[in-house]
Amino acid sequence: MTDELGALTTIFTEFYYWITVVLMFLIHVGFCMYEVGASRYKHHQHTLMKNTMLIPLVTVTWFLFGWWIYWAFPTGPGLAPSIMNESAALITDDSAFSASWYVPTSDLMAVNLGDHISGVFWAAFLLFSWTAASIVSGAVIERITTFAFGILAIAIGSVFWTIDAAWGWHFDGWMLKILGYHDAYASGVIHAIAGGFALGILVVLGPRIGKFSSSGEPRNIGPRNPWLVTIGLFLIYTGFWGFYAACNIPIFDLGPEYGMEGVTFFTATNIYVTPTTLSGITFNFLMSLSGGLLAGYIVSKGDPFWTYSSGLAGIICASAGNDLYHPIQSMIIGMIGVVIAYKMHYWVERKFKIDDAVGAVAVHGYAGFVGLVICGFVLNGYPSSGYSVGAMWDGTTYAAINPLGMFIGAIIMFFVLGMIPGYIIAKILHGMGKLRIPREAELAGLDYEIMEAAKEDEKSVASASR
Amino acid sequence: MATVTNWIEHLSAEEVQGAIYPGVGSEGVLVILGFIIWIGWHVLAARQESEKLSQLARRRPGANDWKNNVTDG
Repeated sequence: MTDELGALTTIFTEFYYWITVVLMFLIHVGFCMYEVGASRYKHHQHTLMKNTMLIPLVTVTWFLFGWWIYWAFPTGPGLAPSIMNESAALITDDSAFSASWYVPTSDLMAVNLGDHISGVFWAAFLLFSWTAASIVSGAVIERITTFAFGILAIAIGSVFWTIDAAWGWHFDGWMLKILGYHDAYASGVIHAIAGGFALGILVVLGPRIGKFSSSGEPRNIGPRNPWLVTIGLFLIYTGFWGFYAACNIPIFDLGPEYGMEGVTFFTATNIYVTPTTLSGITFNFLMSLSGGLLAGYIVSKGDPFWTYSSGLAGIICASAGNDLYHPIQSMIIGMIGVVIAYKMHYWVERKFKIDDAVGAVAVHGYAGFVGLVICGFVLNGYPSSGYSVGAMWDGTTYAAINPLGMFIGAIIMFFVLGMIPGYIIAKILHGMGKLRIPREAELAGLDYEIMEAAKEDEKSVASASR
Repeated sequence: MATVTNWIEHLSAEEVQGAIYPGVGSEGVLVILGFIIWIGWHVLAARQESEKLSQLARRRPGANDWKNNVTDG
């Protein structure tokens, strides 16, 4: 960096993403608190440990291969040619932004004076990965083994969501070109896929002991600590600000990028390099949160657990188009998503005997799915990419946003990359006898021996005289 | 092992080398080590967890026995 403007832009961008990572850490803190609040006392410590250990597992695998997948797979492979090398193969050649830059042996994956962005961008995406895995974590509490969850967390956090991001989020992704897919703040690429993945696991894992009566009626195993649940969800809301910011590019001159001769237009953009503003998405974030809370309060008749979760579901539902919606549109879309997610949760629970302990499939999966479908109608006709005009493309390569493309995109996210892989991997783990904890341990409580040891320690300390 | 021993010389070179971590060129070995640590962790952790769960299952505590183990501070 030798010129001042370039240096300022680069270091501002570096610091911007770094801050988003710090903020997004709060999502994980929130998920941990939420899960502990939702679990029963005898399972608290294991519930917390399971969610904690996804941090190192997803981080290490994200370094070893997850990040490479994101940059290698935008073409499918074989579904649409790359704008960088015009080939539909995996992008592993020497072109700009090739996956060859991000193999774990690359010198860009380390302290490098010539690169201020790779590490913070890698980390921002990594925090999305943690979120995807953490969404799954809540649904399966109190009966999955930590080993199985670790494998599943890596699968969703470092493989399947990465593929969907390459397909539907990367500026060169085939879903943008062929389907006109648009998902600015990840209704689908994080939430629908993680919800679908969780549902696939739950089908194999089965409900907690006692969740359903002998006649099949569901019993409520409500949160044991509503206060912790509340704080957890508020922290997730807080971290979500970082999530939104991390989905943007903070400063970009679109004139030269789009090949517009003599035009200078500095702006923030979404991940597709189309213009938006932090100011605008702030309106929409808060209005969709509000819509979710308002609808959740009514539909759940003031149930605190569902009302707080509905705030999150409202944001998730509106996220696909929150770069462009009017705030009132965001609010209404958030409300629609919450009503559908809530109704779907109880219908699926009764009909299929699915025990989603924290409503993760509903809040993330159904709300995300619905958000994608609605986005297809509301943003019908908008360009799915800035590159559909200008020097790099002739205007026909990227499809415009459309209802059918977004519906197919929702199917790909929830079912193809979410539910089906979750089901298959859970089946394999079940076949190995590694998926579920023994019945006796579930009844006794996963923390039984830790608590017993603590009691013994307490006794010996209490009886000590010196 | 040190890639940089003098910052002034390093930064005033005609072409500044970006990578400054120790052992530039040994990335392949480091990544293999990373894979071994990752897979090895799963093996060890799975073994520990299986032992603990089997032990607890053998003891068969009742569904409410954990309440006897609640500490009072």
